Amino acid sequence: MKIQTNLWFALAVTFMMTGCSTSVERIDAQEQIDLSGAWNDTDSQLVAREMIDDSLSRPWIVRFVSETGKDPVVIIGSVKNLSHEHINTNTFVANMERDLINSGQVQFVASAVARQEIRAERGDQGVNATADTRNAARQEYGADFMMQGQINTIIDIEGKTQVRYYQVNLELISIKDNRKVWVGEKRIKKLVRNSQLRQ
Amino acid sequence: MHKILLLVAITLLSGCTAYQRDSNRLATALNTQSPEIVLAQLQDSEPQARDNAQFHLNRGFLEFLSGDFDSAITTLSLAKKEMSVLEATSISENVGAGTLSETLRSYSGYPTDRVMVHNILALSYLFKNNIEGARVEILQADIAMKKLAEKNALNGQLASAHLIAGIVYELLNEQSNALISYRFTLNIIKQRDMPIPLGLKKALLRMSFKLGAEQQFVDYQRRFPDLPKPSQKTENQVFVLYFDGVVSHKVEKTVVLPSRNFAPLIRISMPGYPLAKQNVRPLSKQQISTEMVENIEVLVREDLARETPSILLLTTTRALAKYELVRRVNEKDNLAGLLLNLVTVATESADLRSWNMLPGNIQFGYLGTTENEIQIDGLNDRPKKIDILDGSQNMILINSLSDHIFHYQQL
Repeated sequence: MKIQTNLWFALAVTFMMTGCSTSVERIDAQEQIDLSGAWNDTDSQLVAREMIDDSLSRPWIVRFVSETGKDPVVIIGSVKNLSHEHINTNTFVANMERDLINSGQVQFVASAVARQEIRAERGDQGVNATADTRNAARQEYGADFMMQGQINTIIDIEGKTQVRYYQVNLELISIKDNRKVWVGEKRIKKLVRNSQLRQ
Repeated sequence: MHKILLLVAITLLSGCTAYQRDSNRLATALNTQSPEIVLAQLQDSEPQARDNAQFHLNRGFLEFLSGDFDSAITTLSLAKKEMSVLEATSISENVGAGTLSETLRSYSGYPTDRVMVHNILALSYLFKNNIEGARVEILQADIAMKKLAEKNALNGQLASAHLIAGIVYELLNEQSNALISYRFTLNIIKQRDMPIPLGLKKALLRMSFKLGAEQQFVDYQRRFPDLPKPSQKTENQVFVLYFDGVVSHKVEKTVVLPSRNFAPLIRISMPGYPLAKQNVRPLSKQQISTEMVENIEVLVREDLARETPSILLLTTTRALAKYELVRRVNEKDNLAGLLLNLVTVATESADLRSWNMLPGNIQFGYLGTTENEIQIDGLNDRPKKIDILDGSQNMILINSLSDHIFHYQQL
């Protein structure tokens, strides 16, 4: 009889534990939450901010301003994802753009894709807009520097534990003469322990 | 209360076996119907939550074969996540499997599934012209294989995963990584005592030559003396993968011990595979011929064989527990004992779930050519012409189940 009771108990527990519900909670976008240990918004914001702070504190910017008498114009090129994860580099690039523009120390020009759209609009204005509201062609700002980079990872695994090492490398290259005026590197190391048990 | 729970258990388990039967029927139907038709039928089925990973693996693969790469990426990424979560042990599912049936456990994927999902995702990204995404998947496949690696065993080690990695690296001009991946492919093929495909021999010679790895190049020249030195000329490169057939699905092997003197019936059901099919059909008599690089028929049998001792132990323990339970009830009430015995017999079914729509084997071929067109005889020998640009690198996937030929080209 005891075995029979245990069987019913086990059955009831089994069915109860398979049930679950969804809950949603609004949280601060700045709050740091790590669920899987993968690259997330916190990493993207953190790396972008630190890299831009570093780049703006280096001598290249002072040198450029003293040589030319104007703020440098920067464009962000490609940031290659060479990591083990599908990282949306667009959000990382957007974070860097925001921090660069908000610094007030550099001018910023739109990316190649955005420029095509703007040129199409300007072309359309040339045909359809009134003369006093029309924006003329050939007035674009040319960039002085391009920022490029890549995200790499090394992953070490032992059982349910893994160490995830991210390395983000960025460099600022002079478009005039291909000189690298700044090279930045940011590393993030995460220790991820996956649970042995689940519901 | 007991009767209601019994009914729930029987209903639950009958739904489970019905879905398994349906899934196996659809896998068999792939031999005669197009992936699109089978996909439509699969989408109509309603799997239990614990079968979700299997359902998504099959659905994602059919979406891939249908050329819907966006959907395949979404669905297979979901399956990948589900399998990752299910790697942890569930107490409630183990209680269910130990008391009622093995099928109450969530399908968490076999080692072959865990690597093949990256293969199909890498190819989906590649044919969607997202080679960076393909690179991410081959790196993840490498991690998955490292996690599964056991001493002196080929558990979860797929030659095809290393081969696809080699091709992607070669397309990205990462020559050192490409050579290492081709070497891994060779190691696995040798350990499996399979013939080395000509395309792989050429790849090893080509990459060691390009990389200037002189010692290795000389070594490969000595091992493959029939092959010429790689050409210095710029040739169009064509890598061909061929998915041949559909892998076997599991069948139930059942033993019922007959009742004597009102003793309870005992039923033991174990999953198994039918005898291995040997009908490998390489693409031959074409501009590009292919040879087998991965025999998935063998891999799935190895996966199951590795689990068989623990399945057998749990099945036997469960049978003894059920026997004891029925015997005790029987002592008090013959009719109740008989009914309970019927339930314990009815709920005993083998777990037949697997990624049962995978190809039976994967083949590989390579062509270096100066021509701008190649002809491939697809399904029903209907030839298809593929345009090749000068100085281009091409990856082509052909499968024996449909007319679709997928082509990635870069200059």
